[in-house]
Amino acid sequence: MAKAKSNTRRKKKVLVLVPFPMSGEHLEARREQSVKLDLGPDIEFHYRPTKWAGTNFVGPYDYALGDFTMLEAGLSAQDDGYDAVCIDTMSDSGVAALRAALDIPVIGPGRTTILTAMMLGDKFGMLVMWERWLGLYKKVMDELGVWHKYAGYQSIGVAPDRFSLLGGEEKVIFPKLLAAGKKLIEENGADVIILGSTSMHQAHGFLSENLPVPVISPGPLSYGIAQMLLNVGLKHSRKSYPQPVARSDHYIHTMLEAAAAEAKKGPKLVGAEGLKKKKK
Amino acid sequence: MAKVLVLVPFAMDRKGVANRRAQLKGVKLGPKIEFDFRPVTAGPQMYMSAHDFAFMDIAIFEAGMDAEKEGYDAVCIDTMSDSGMDALRSVLDIPVISPGKASMLFALTLGNKFGLMAAWEPAAIRTRKFVKSLGLDPFCASVEVYDVPPDYINLMAGKEDKTLPKMLAACKRAVDKGADVMILGSTTMHQAHAYLSEKLPIPVVNPGPLTYKLVETVLAMKLSHSRQPYPKPIVGHQDVIHAMFHKAGELMNSPTLKLKEELAKKKKKRR
Repeated sequence: MAKAKSNTRRKKKVLVLVPFPMSGEHLEARREQSVKLDLGPDIEFHYRPTKWAGTNFVGPYDYALGDFTMLEAGLSAQDDGYDAVCIDTMSDSGVAALRAALDIPVIGPGRTTILTAMMLGDKFGMLVMWERWLGLYKKVMDELGVWHKYAGYQSIGVAPDRFSLLGGEEKVIFPKLLAAGKKLIEENGADVIILGSTSMHQAHGFLSENLPVPVISPGPLSYGIAQMLLNVGLKHSRKSYPQPVARSDHYIHTMLEAAAAEAKKGPKLVGAEGLKKKKK
Repeated sequence: MAKVLVLVPFAMDRKGVANRRAQLKGVKLGPKIEFDFRPVTAGPQMYMSAHDFAFMDIAIFEAGMDAEKEGYDAVCIDTMSDSGMDALRSVLDIPVISPGKASMLFALTLGNKFGLMAAWEPAAIRTRKFVKSLGLDPFCASVEVYDVPPDYINLMAGKEDKTLPKMLAACKRAVDKGADVMILGSTTMHQAHAYLSEKLPIPVVNPGPLTYKLVETVLAMKLSHSRQPYPKPIVGHQDVIHAMFHKAGELMNSPTLKLKEELAKKKKKRR
């Protein structure tokens, strides 16, 4: 006798990769992005931070590290039973590499927000905490060739806190963001605004209510797109993201374990921050 | 004497490095410059998928990030993908020259449209994306595949008779599509340069040797990359990155680690 078909559809599981090692309240602040979003009962989001990471995402050095650490964090997603992967950074770090390695959809908010903004309006603008984020978008805009649709950016000139995000600073930060958002519309001519980082999600409700153009919060948008792709059974093109001839999972996992162990020995700062400390 | 470090994108032994070093024969350089070739400690087995690109970027970075401290005056990268170039430029003040973007811009000083060769389809996909991301697609006549899987260590050795005519046919297809300058799509194709230059009616750019001449030029002109698009990291993590690659090198039984040991022993003996 044929088995009776179960009426309960399997819940879709999405893995969200967080670009820095973190736990507790910091990870909760990232998780808020999906908790506040009503995507129905058939989908759930699990957050996984990287084993190790650089300190910021402010230049090519950090992008090279980010691609590699995010690749490691997501390599096992399919084997772990996930149906899709989302990347919790506008740099789209690791997206291309994971698309090559995995057969499930991998969604990066950078490419997704820019293309969605272009669907909703004619010219999009970036609202950023500080100017050092601007390099994050260059790679995607170069790849897509959409610079002519970019109205420009407005920055509030505040270094972001990648752990606490905007927590506790709302009274100071929100009005600044609103003023910068208005400038972006009036002076730059943006008709859609993209929040420059997934870490700005806490300001989305306030800005959406107070600005006359659509405001995109990149993280939640990527979750919505993940659900849509799963519903319609679409994923990235294998022609554009060929599979590797040989995967290096074992080496890559071991390398990140070695990195985490080395980092535990204590911070040995080099670069601009290190030089500053030395001078002191 | 100016000292240039050439970073080779795969882990390899002395023989493999010699094949790469042979590119120096392709260009006449002044007496005041010398080149050391250094393969990465560990990295991907192939270079055909975004999975490999992420790994190679950081592998090349690791191999070159101490170049300035080691006394080098410039760095060259021995791959048309420009892997690791942006990251290295962001930590080094000395010139970092890589052949991908440079050879396309150089080709446009010689003609109006360039053609690029790709060993096989995966390389063509990557190359087309790269050209587009540089905004150079209006100047690219075509990327032509000659369909011989690349051998990153032995290069074309022993396969010249079969490979060279296929490469020539690919170049001719590019010329038919409007290419007036041809670029070898990989530094691993350097052994074909003389043959193709002789048979084709247009200039053929040999990317590896081009970088050696470019590096000599920028050093003479006292130029280096702009800091604006390559800002220094706020925090660096050199020790962690070295630790990762040392571990990977051990696991992979990397020929580069053996090569490093040999060099260290030689140095000791000399002392």
